Amino acid sequence: MSAMKRATFSRWLAATAAAIAFGQSAHAAVDVFACEPEWAALAKEIGGDKVSVYQATTALQDPHRIEARPSLIAHTRAADLLICTGAELEVGWLPVLLQTSGNGKVQVGQPGYFMASDFVAKLEVPKAVDRAQGDVHPYGNPHIQLDPRNIALVARALSERLAQIDHGNAAYYQARLKDFEGRWQKAIGGWEARAAPLKGMRLVPYHKDSAYLIHWLGMEEIIDVEPKPGIPPSAGYLAELLTKLQAQPADAITRAAYQDPKAVEWLSERTKIPGVMLPYTVGGTPQAKDLFTLFDDTIDRLLKARKPS
Amino acid sequence: MFRSNIVACGIAAVLSAALPAAGQAPSNQELEEIRKQIQELKDSYESRIQALEKRLKEAEDSAAKAQSTATQAQESAVQAQQSAQPATASPAAQQASQNAFNPALSVILMGSYNNFSVNPANASVTGFLPAPLYGDALGPRGFSLQESEITAAASVDPYFRGQFTAAFEGDGSVSVEEAFFQTTALGNGLSVKAGRFFSSIGYENSVHAHAWDFKDPALVQTVFLGANFAETGLQLNWIAPTPLFIEVGSEIGAGTTDPGLGLDTGFNRNGIPSWTAYAHVGDDIGTGGSYRVGASTLQTSTGNNPIPFADLDQTSGMTNLFSGDVRLYGLDFVYKWAPDGNPVDRNFKFVAEWWYREYAGNMTFDSATPAAVIQPFTARQQGWYAQGVYQFLPQWRVGLRYDRLNEGSISTSPTGVAVPDYTPWRAAAMVDWNLSEFSRIRLQVQQDRAQQGVVDNQVFVQYIMSLGSHGAHKF
Repeated sequence: MSAMKRATFSRWLAATAAAIAFGQSAHAAVDVFACEPEWAALAKEIGGDKVSVYQATTALQDPHRIEARPSLIAHTRAADLLICTGAELEVGWLPVLLQTSGNGKVQVGQPGYFMASDFVAKLEVPKAVDRAQGDVHPYGNPHIQLDPRNIALVARALSERLAQIDHGNAAYYQARLKDFEGRWQKAIGGWEARAAPLKGMRLVPYHKDSAYLIHWLGMEEIIDVEPKPGIPPSAGYLAELLTKLQAQPADAITRAAYQDPKAVEWLSERTKIPGVMLPYTVGGTPQAKDLFTLFDDTIDRLLKARKPS
Repeated sequence: MFRSNIVACGIAAVLSAALPAAGQAPSNQELEEIRKQIQELKDSYESRIQALEKRLKEAEDSAAKAQSTATQAQESAVQAQQSAQPATASPAAQQASQNAFNPALSVILMGSYNNFSVNPANASVTGFLPAPLYGDALGPRGFSLQESEITAAASVDPYFRGQFTAAFEGDGSVSVEEAFFQTTALGNGLSVKAGRFFSSIGYENSVHAHAWDFKDPALVQTVFLGANFAETGLQLNWIAPTPLFIEVGSEIGAGTTDPGLGLDTGFNRNGIPSWTAYAHVGDDIGTGGSYRVGASTLQTSTGNNPIPFADLDQTSGMTNLFSGDVRLYGLDFVYKWAPDGNPVDRNFKFVAEWWYREYAGNMTFDSATPAAVIQPFTARQQGWYAQGVYQFLPQWRVGLRYDRLNEGSISTSPTGVAVPDYTPWRAAAMVDWNLSEFSRIRLQVQQDRAQQGVVDNQVFVQYIMSLGSHGAHKF
């Protein structure tokens, strides 16, 4: 081995050792694995610089249908805290991550397993479940993030959980929560005032993912674009929907960034009902940069679609 | 019950506080005082409990109303949760009965209509697998039931989870595909599996039949590993603490002496006849792509129980017995892509695997006759496949697969039977229609040239239906 080669080798060795040490314990921050962007954003609000957040999915990805990719397994392995929606939203991929990761801290029942939907009252809990109804969620509608009052409940639970995992910084998380709650409650007041004209607005969402928003702002869900949850509309069903919407007009047809625009555009063109893309989560539109702008932009877009009556 | 307990506690508390203070037998006035205090305490608890119950009732009523009208439910339910704590847990949690702990249960129904241009009863893979073994793997002509699979899985306790998968064949036979427990609490990226489980070697080996992208497994998978090689023993798996996915693992167990033939070891000795080792590395490429590459080995031994070995020319009808080691080495590669990493509308998956198999030991040629000859035997063979599946619409996927085996070098038979010089291959195209995540109907056409001198054109129409709990699939 030449001197130069030896130097390169020892540098490589040092780098590897450093990487392993880093991966194991050298960092002070709580490693957070957030299944969806809204929980990544909330973890940053509450955790500040005491947490290091890995966001597993983007606003352009349907959280029902994520591949249990190698990178997700590697990050689950490193996590101290897993923040997901729960209520079976991630049932198609999260179990694989948990089983493969070899990480005892984030398994079901451990403090590192935090399911946001456990802390809110869920809507649309079915009395009976049957897959003839499509991909229904037996524990209720999991898309809880579009009611800011839910975010407040989750924020409180999250700060408690962070304090439990990282005792040393309990006061810090408490203070961050207090600060967040102050700003959040004020913002909710603002949103509710601005959204007053949205009351009674009739929506046609692509998927059953707007229930909490509709409930919060007193809007109305006429029908979904999907014939059953998780089943894309066929051409025949769209024609049927067109007839229905002509008979019973709506104010807007909404979809998330990750949902197929074609069906919504097709319906919107023929019914003259505005098609609206809503951010649904942080990063869903260029304007929705954080939790606050998520709601700003959602209300902006709905107000724009709302015809002055 | 709850109320009387509180009252009793209150009485006890008041008495224990009041009695020592009196020091001696209490006077009538003191007793009256105590009675009064108790009554006050009781009244106060009664009223507070009534108030709580009233609020609880109100919250429950309004929550129930909200189910249908979806108004105000949330605020009141949340208030109720905060004020009357566990009283209004979400309705799902209220189903307190013995089956609340039932494992997640899923059932897979599979069947197919098969059309072969050549009778599958005579199908073989020249130089690898004799008839009727290959034909059995292909399935019968006409309508047939494929395996019906039942899986039950749940946490055992905070330290283990368990899974059981049984496959019911169309002819009524049942096999335990997987029955294992796995640690969940070891930490440090470690997990241990014990029982019977699909070995983590290669890629397709640990994929259950209902999740295959084609009706049948690749030729090399069928011939070398018998569709799914299941280890009965122990697995140790470790994920490295790095942002790059690195997984290494090893298994020891009873194995099967020839995974391709699916034979039991007959290894009637203490010890471990079979072991495997594997390593996987994977990561994302850009926002839409991800890959995993792997290398594996499987090593088994016949011990002192020789296994019947296919007559090498497939025609002489000789029975040979092999004893020694069977070693497999493989490389696998998976790449998946979807626009923005969202596979709902469109996605692409590419898989390729290469396997090398070596027999090293002794062969008893023509063992059934007095002319039997024992001599050293080696065979070095390999095979590979490459397949791509593209989902071009939310409910439609198309796929192509090319399959090939290389007969390699085989020790020649002392009886002068020549080993045929032939390279078996197949090509398949499939299209599947997925009305929902839980149903799949597939059409597959395949040209099968596994047997020298035979061109078998195959058509399969297959259904795969998933019932019960929502499965989670590996990458």
